[in-house]
Amino acid sequence: MPRYNILLAGVGGQGLLTLGSIIGNAAIEEGIDATIAETHGLSQRGGSLVVHVRLGDGSSPLIPHGGANLIIGLEALETLRYLNYANKDTKIVMNEFLWPPPLSKTPKLEDIIKAISSSARLYVVNANEEAKKVTGLIVTANTLILGFAYMIDKDLQSLLSEKSLEKGLERVFRGKALELNRKALKAGMELAKKTI
Amino acid sequence: MTNPLLYPKGSTVLLLGNEAIARGAIESAIGFAAAYPGTPSTEIIEALASVAKDVGFYVEWSTNEKVAFEAAYAAALCGVKSLVAMKHVGVNVAADILMSSAYAGVNAGFVVVSADDPGQHSSQNEQDNRWYGMLAHIPVIEPWSPRSAYKLIKEAFKLSEKYKHPVIFRSTTRISHTRQPVTYEDDIPKPKTKGVFDRDIKRYVLIPIHGRKLKKILMEKWHKISSEEGKPPLVEVINPGRPKAIIASGIAYAHVTEALDYLGAKDDYTILRVSLPVPLPYKPVIDVAKDAKEILVVEELDPIVEYQVKKIIQEQGLEAKVYGKEYVPTDLDLDLEKVYKAIKMFRGETPETPWKPVEVPKVEPGIPPRPPVLCPGCPHRNTFYIIKTAANKAGLKDPIYTGDIGCYTLGYNEPFKTQMTSFEMGGSIGVAHGLSKVVDEPVIAVIGDSTFYHAGIPPAINIVYNKGRAIVLVLDNYYTAMTGHQPHPGTGYTAMGEETYRVPAEKLLESMGFKTFVINPMNVKESIEKVVEAYKAYKEGEYVAIVSRMKCALQAQREARKKGIKLPAYGINEDKCRGCMVCVNLLACPAIIVPEGKKKPVILTDLCAGCGLCAQVCPFNAIEVVREGSPDWIKAWM
Repeated sequence: MPRYNILLAGVGGQGLLTLGSIIGNAAIEEGIDATIAETHGLSQRGGSLVVHVRLGDGSSPLIPHGGANLIIGLEALETLRYLNYANKDTKIVMNEFLWPPPLSKTPKLEDIIKAISSSARLYVVNANEEAKKVTGLIVTANTLILGFAYMIDKDLQSLLSEKSLEKGLERVFRGKALELNRKALKAGMELAKKTI
Repeated sequence: MTNPLLYPKGSTVLLLGNEAIARGAIESAIGFAAAYPGTPSTEIIEALASVAKDVGFYVEWSTNEKVAFEAAYAAALCGVKSLVAMKHVGVNVAADILMSSAYAGVNAGFVVVSADDPGQHSSQNEQDNRWYGMLAHIPVIEPWSPRSAYKLIKEAFKLSEKYKHPVIFRSTTRISHTRQPVTYEDDIPKPKTKGVFDRDIKRYVLIPIHGRKLKKILMEKWHKISSEEGKPPLVEVINPGRPKAIIASGIAYAHVTEALDYLGAKDDYTILRVSLPVPLPYKPVIDVAKDAKEILVVEELDPIVEYQVKKIIQEQGLEAKVYGKEYVPTDLDLDLEKVYKAIKMFRGETPETPWKPVEVPKVEPGIPPRPPVLCPGCPHRNTFYIIKTAANKAGLKDPIYTGDIGCYTLGYNEPFKTQMTSFEMGGSIGVAHGLSKVVDEPVIAVIGDSTFYHAGIPPAINIVYNKGRAIVLVLDNYYTAMTGHQPHPGTGYTAMGEETYRVPAEKLLESMGFKTFVINPMNVKESIEKVVEAYKAYKEGEYVAIVSRMKCALQAQREARKKGIKLPAYGINEDKCRGCMVCVNLLACPAIIVPEGKKKPVILTDLCAGCGLCAQVCPFNAIEVVREGSPDWIKAWM
């Protein structure tokens, strides 16, 4: 069976590696195999970054172009940049956040949204603001957007139960951070229910 | 909370490839581990250091890879199992002792982990370090996944113990930095950490008369390994007897199996899975080539297995036709798509793939590139601004800035251009000296603290000894920051968290004969004055060194969080701002952005680290504190 592929795109420092770890740990809870290919080192310093999450049997770590089932974009430019990992059936969940690289000219957020919508099924979430509302912390935007993506993606739901996802959080966070991330995950799910 | 690396046998844990290597090494009962950090190898020693005291083995961050190798090798000579880890180019630094270690051998398991970086994700080249095995006559083991790395590192120790010989364990970025669930096969044994040095002078003193005898023993071992080790788990023949075969080494095996799944062709080929590419055992190759008329060799980077397969087939007088690098790229990392295409071509089909990517739509202006940048609050930004401003003030015309390996390499970019070379660790100073002998412009060598301790000291001495005219600038942010803030001789504590002696860079430089100036780049004005003074001394013919000391912003913010210190944040007062863009154009701070269609910049408060550089640079005093810090916030940066 082909593996289920999630591409995480964003800017180094936004917490992509943690997001990948949550999904991978959820997979362990569910008893399915996974590989999560990360980028460390120099590229993490504010550079363009992707993490390849692949669920199901197999060890080849990179998602083929056109092979993503789901793309979670934590920043608008980076979501657009990696759109060639999508095919026409790919679901894309994007943070409503445009972070221009220093000294650059960037397209407008609404133009990016228009462009992506023309090629694939796009959901836009203002995760930074929503997360701040719920937890007071912008760093929980990632968990919130994961909750959202989970709720709009039936295929992902059939692979991972909600319980496994929550247990995935428990394997990554402790104490207060765990509490806040639980809240953010739920908030993302609720937000998706309202959107659909 | 227990560290997952210590969980008992039977536990399933999501491990990074490097952590999997660490756990495998712990299960092999290593007593000693050493390394110099370098992507993609760093997390091996980080993981080991995090549990060293619990398990009871020794771990250190050494000053460079050669030193790390020597330390770990010495332990293995005394019968203590040891591991040394480094990135691929680190092996170049350790190559001298690596070559000798093959002659003298070991008395306990000794594994050299080389984490290669195909794709150059965080490196200056993508050399294939399996060649080092060929060059030194040291066997190379390469895994195909994090999980297999966990199993095979244990095989590497067994092989090393069996032959009393060093073993190279070659990982790559896509194994070291991929996570996978790993189920522990064994509990953690108690390691042996004390050994005995037997004074076997004929073996350890490599003078010619000893070395010649040792070379004979070395070659005997080498032939024995290639004739006897061609069996699972190091080499495995799957589906024997097919008329077509695929030989897949290391990570290529992961891609090949999945590509064949997609092609529905899993049973069409004999697969030879190779995890011992050097020396390639000849028996399984002969077995495969007897039946297969056509063979495709799939491996990442260089055709090392391919050459050996061709040699074996030729020597045996077999007729199989061998394909390899005609279809498989020699650069960048391999992936499923590339291997799928290679197999299609091997089948004589057009290299189409089943995946149908959408096109990235055109937008105006296009998607700007996003290379890595200096973080908000990065002290290097301050230092670069200071040294350039001071050069103008001191009339130091058109300085050439030689560069080195670290976060500060990003200074090559606009608007700084304070890195004009970057070849290898320590190269900034050696190259600066040579330049100063043959050009008229002033030359400034810009090097990080960890890099200075690693390989910057001999070339700095060389400047003074050979009357060079280069300035040495050490950027001291207290850590080996780029690889994740490992401690070094200037930090004050060890890999295992013990307090230790500090070796301040300025004391070393002073003792060499440099007139040394220390600045705190958070104080911009004062620092500029001091650097002007330094440049004047340089113009008067003195040997000059500058140490710029301020903590890495990521670490300052981390410590502030930990200690409950609130850092200030800055904002731009729109009434005072005239839109001159000095802050944007001179500093390129990711926290300062110009919103689309606006003429004045804004600071993203969530991202501001509170270093205050922009406020000191703004000609109109328009940048102000918008969130007050705790009274003692400055301590977090010291």
